[in-house]
Amino acid sequence: MRWGVLQFPGSCDERDALHACSLIGEARLVWHEQRDLDGFDAIVIPGGFSYGDYLRAGAIARFSPAMEAVAELAADGRPVLGICNGFQVLCEANLLPGALLRNESLRFICRQVELVAADDERLSIPVKHGEGRYYAPEEMLDAIEANGQVAYRYAPGQNPNGSARDIAGLTNEAGNVLGLMPHPEHAVDAMTGSTDGLAVFERMVAVAA
Amino acid sequence: MVELEADDPGQLPALCEKLLANPLIEDFEIESVDGA
Repeated sequence: MRWGVLQFPGSCDERDALHACSLIGEARLVWHEQRDLDGFDAIVIPGGFSYGDYLRAGAIARFSPAMEAVAELAADGRPVLGICNGFQVLCEANLLPGALLRNESLRFICRQVELVAADDERLSIPVKHGEGRYYAPEEMLDAIEANGQVAYRYAPGQNPNGSARDIAGLTNEAGNVLGLMPHPEHAVDAMTGSTDGLAVFERMVAVAA
Repeated sequence: MVELEADDPGQLPALCEKLLANPLIEDFEIESVDGA
């Protein structure tokens, strides 16, 4: 599995994402000006503050040359994983439905949370964000749930940001594009308290198979 | 608030809808601030 990890001006989690990907395949960084992603089996859009979150988080990054290639790659069925700011970029690019709003508390949140995957597997993964409150109109939420696109929910009582229906991560209809606010790349080494994040990357490997 | 200089103010609505605003979560108003 050959992973490409995008890097925008203002990205800050690309090194951890690179490390996580390298645990289960080959991985290298991709500068945002690169248009050709043909050499990759999967793409990770990491967390951070792309373009300083100018206008809205992810609003400028979606126009980068690399994102044009990501849209083509996603349409081709290859896996795309957006983490935190990457999730925001994917929503702004309309590769995923909905949007991420300021946290309900209006405060930046950094803590470990428990997630429940669609198959009821529980994962302990950290969140760190100021704009992680997932929002979509009710009819869109109904469609997302009916299509089985909710990949991860915050465990009962652990929704840190007021996300609609406790949604922490979701996929596109085809299932090959996944975005989530928690940071699986920060949970791949027992020294940091959890290795549950590897399951998220392995999920993308399964999509590629 | 976002201030812009525009050669063709008629393009501003499309600019807002496609670039500046996310219509899912934002509304916008366009106000001309000079004699343009």
